[in-house]
Amino acid sequence: MNRKIAIVGYAQTHHEHDPPNTREGMVFEAAKGALDKAGITREAIDTVINVSSDYQDGRTISNLFLVMAEGAYLKDESKVEMDGAFGVLYAMMRILSGNHDTAMVVGVTQGSIFSPHQISFYTLDPTFDRQIGLLNDISAAAIQARMYKNKHDVSDEQIAMVSVKNLVNAASNPYAHRKIPDLNVKKVLGSKLYYDPIRELNISPISDGACAVVLASEEKAKEITDAPVWIKGVGSCQDSYLRDRNLLKLESLEIAAKKAYEMAGLKNPSKEFDVAEVTERFSHEELMIYEALGLCSEGRGKILIETGVTERKGQIPVNPSGGALGADPVLATGLVRIAEAAKQIRGEAGKYQIQGVRQALAHGQTGLCAQSNIVFILGGEE
Amino acid sequence: MMKRNVAIIGCGQTKHGRLRDVNTSEMIAEAAWKAMEDANVTPDEVDAIVVGNMQGFGGIYDTELWAGELFGAPKPFLRITTGGTTGGSVAHGGYYSVASGLYDVVLAVAFEKHSDSKERGASTGLAHVAMANIFHTMQHGASIKWLVSLATGAATGVSAFQASCYMYRSGCGVKHLDMVAAKSRRNAAKNEYAHLRWPNCTPEDIAKTEWISYPLRFGHVCPASDGASAVVYAEEEIAKKKAERPAWIKGVAAYADEPNLMGENSQGTAITDLSEQLQCIISAREAYQRAGIKNPRKEIDMAEIYQPFPHQELMFSERVDLFDDGKAWIALEEGQTEIDGSMPLDPSGGVISTNAIGSSAMQRVLECALQVMGKAGKHQVPKDVKNAVAHGWGGATNFTTITVLGDSPRR
Amino acid sequence: MEKREITQVSGMPIVAGFQWSVGKMMERFIKSFAERKILAAKCPKCGYTYVPPRLRCGKCYTKIEEENLVELSGKGTLIGYTTAYVQLDGKGNFLDLDKPKMVGAIKLEDSDSTIFMPLGEVDPKDVKEGIKVEAVWRKETKGEIADIVYFKPAR
Repeated sequence: MNRKIAIVGYAQTHHEHDPPNTREGMVFEAAKGALDKAGITREAIDTVINVSSDYQDGRTISNLFLVMAEGAYLKDESKVEMDGAFGVLYAMMRILSGNHDTAMVVGVTQGSIFSPHQISFYTLDPTFDRQIGLLNDISAAAIQARMYKNKHDVSDEQIAMVSVKNLVNAASNPYAHRKIPDLNVKKVLGSKLYYDPIRELNISPISDGACAVVLASEEKAKEITDAPVWIKGVGSCQDSYLRDRNLLKLESLEIAAKKAYEMAGLKNPSKEFDVAEVTERFSHEELMIYEALGLCSEGRGKILIETGVTERKGQIPVNPSGGALGADPVLATGLVRIAEAAKQIRGEAGKYQIQGVRQALAHGQTGLCAQSNIVFILGGEE
Repeated sequence: MMKRNVAIIGCGQTKHGRLRDVNTSEMIAEAAWKAMEDANVTPDEVDAIVVGNMQGFGGIYDTELWAGELFGAPKPFLRITTGGTTGGSVAHGGYYSVASGLYDVVLAVAFEKHSDSKERGASTGLAHVAMANIFHTMQHGASIKWLVSLATGAATGVSAFQASCYMYRSGCGVKHLDMVAAKSRRNAAKNEYAHLRWPNCTPEDIAKTEWISYPLRFGHVCPASDGASAVVYAEEEIAKKKAERPAWIKGVAAYADEPNLMGENSQGTAITDLSEQLQCIISAREAYQRAGIKNPRKEIDMAEIYQPFPHQELMFSERVDLFDDGKAWIALEEGQTEIDGSMPLDPSGGVISTNAIGSSAMQRVLECALQVMGKAGKHQVPKDVKNAVAHGWGGATNFTTITVLGDSPRR
Repeated sequence: MEKREITQVSGMPIVAGFQWSVGKMMERFIKSFAERKILAAKCPKCGYTYVPPRLRCGKCYTKIEEENLVELSGKGTLIGYTTAYVQLDGKGNFLDLDKPKMVGAIKLEDSDSTIFMPLGEVDPKDVKEGIKVEAVWRKETKGEIADIVYFKPAR
């Protein structure tokens, strides 16, 4: 990269279902919070990228009425309509171009306005799959989960362990939506069955929330903060459509991760980042994510979860914040992962702080069965 | 820091109209492939793709998840959607992708398929635009009649109000709107990809059409077209190898103002004159500065203004500093804005002749690129195009995208 | 933050629908259901066979023409499946199903795509990956997608 870019501020709202707050109120809370954290005012921001969804918000041009709340009045402003982490990529590109030195990415979705599961139905091929009417993000994930279980002999218990880890982790996270400190495998397996083998506690909740992240070029970052979180690498890839891709592996995530690792100069990735915040919309997805990130070989995700490698006290803590299973404000979720990873590096994660975090991985996804993925490698001051 | 030079090396678009013999993914792929072929690149040489349309019009969410494989997936994709300015925002997204240095060759494609609406006049999508954003006012006593008049054609109601503001400010008359509409239809007749083409259209022809909402007539209004347009961006070294005369992106800007007319969620606004368009003035200034253009009136050779309604061609050409405030109608009367005039505006026929909403602002960039490259065929302006400016507006008339293109890179 | 009265508004006073044009390839595919035929598009260069058919190969980017359409046997292998206990109602609510439905991921013989179709005439306990399945057609086929009612285990 031709200039270094750092995260210098972040903020998120408390994620819940249908809180007494408007979209604009949430956006303002997150945007103002991020500016306050960075210790700057809106005048210092050169460009704002909004991340929101027309379909989720039930209104087209979803950023139209958020211009003021996100501090974008008379500023260069645009919008990315994918997971929030992609918004950070676009903001990065704007700073790397040299046209801007600082940027703020503000993502919001009130999942309670309209179900993201219903909307996943609208991403299907309208000429065929949508006419048959059986597919949505959960049923497609269920088919994938069963294929994965059968191929690698993974049990429902092992998959449930991911839910237990993340929902117990979420109990320490003041911003998380779904916190179940006394959760166990039995309770997960007793929750409502949607599409076999996926149950209620295997699915991320529908949350309302906003998150904002402030980025700055190296010069500006050093003026703004003593604790910049540098973006060392990024990679993204969108896979083929559901009918023509390999559902047994998250191939596009593998490609994205490799690119991010290369850019960050990581030779032995699983040993070189100290914590990972990934977007797991379904518990089995987290196991597949371990494999795609190269933390273990194909089919061995179950070993990592069983032996506690990815617990908070393990060698590679994954989702100490609770992940998407803990809170899923849809398009803001990837931004939250980036904010949580930055928090870990800055030592600001309170009760769920992992010790000695120098580098962290953050991941966001969009599309059925994690069709499009983006991976960030973040690092603290050397 | 050394800024990277980025150029458009190829353009592609579908014919625009009611395209019922292709599905949306095929329509997007057609424009994408035409652009890649024009740019002499294969999908393997394309590093990333930027896509956008106005979600809600086509009834498909994140269309590229389904369509992407027809022209490039697996690959990094980025979706940018900003309403009317979508095409311009996608164009900027493609530019920034290469300017960042993360990618060397990027395809940017924008599209819309209005005819997939079951309701008459493509109004399914318009229902989402107009109603969804303003029907909460019914809680405060707004009547459905008022909503419908404001939302007529989604933009017609608002634009009619804006046209009145502009006519008062500039002193132009309805006859000037007729003249712009007629000029656009005549220009469109020279553009094989345009939708409404009327070779010998006169202002009198336009004046015969009925009023929709004063001062706008049926003859003034844009169609709802199906179509897709795409451009391929490349960094300097590759651009010079691939294209004879690349169209260099010299400056971009996209400032946003507060929503005109009602303010955020009808809380009121400080803007009383919809023809002021402050964000357009600031964006143009910033884009020209980045492009190193000090005197746009001398240095800009032609412009593609986003004008689904005719007064906007006059109004925005002033806001991008090609004419004095309120004086564009004089240039129009003198024929300066015709294809062979001194400041050709919308030689392609503009949005008033072809409006696939998601794609329209991208088409303005595409058309300027064609003019710079000398590839605009029958509607090529008969002079050397050294610099061109492409404009887009959207939102509640508070979004703008400005792109300045030229025949040589910024040094 | 303080408790506030938030006005919530739901539903719109109008309903608007969509009608997607399917394109030439899909039109032939769907109309062939009238003759109980399942067509696929075979890439003339790399041989990747798409069902439903499409105009361009996503693997090698070669154009696929109507003459590259091949007829499939209608039989295939079940490579994945799930049992649905709920169904979306079109408004975002999951309604409980009285009887669970099965969805299968099927790879039809001589094709490479996976299609997702309902499974019928089968007990969830008896379904396994790898079993052979075949299409069950409506008595009176009309050239519509609904002509294939479901896939059942093949003998």
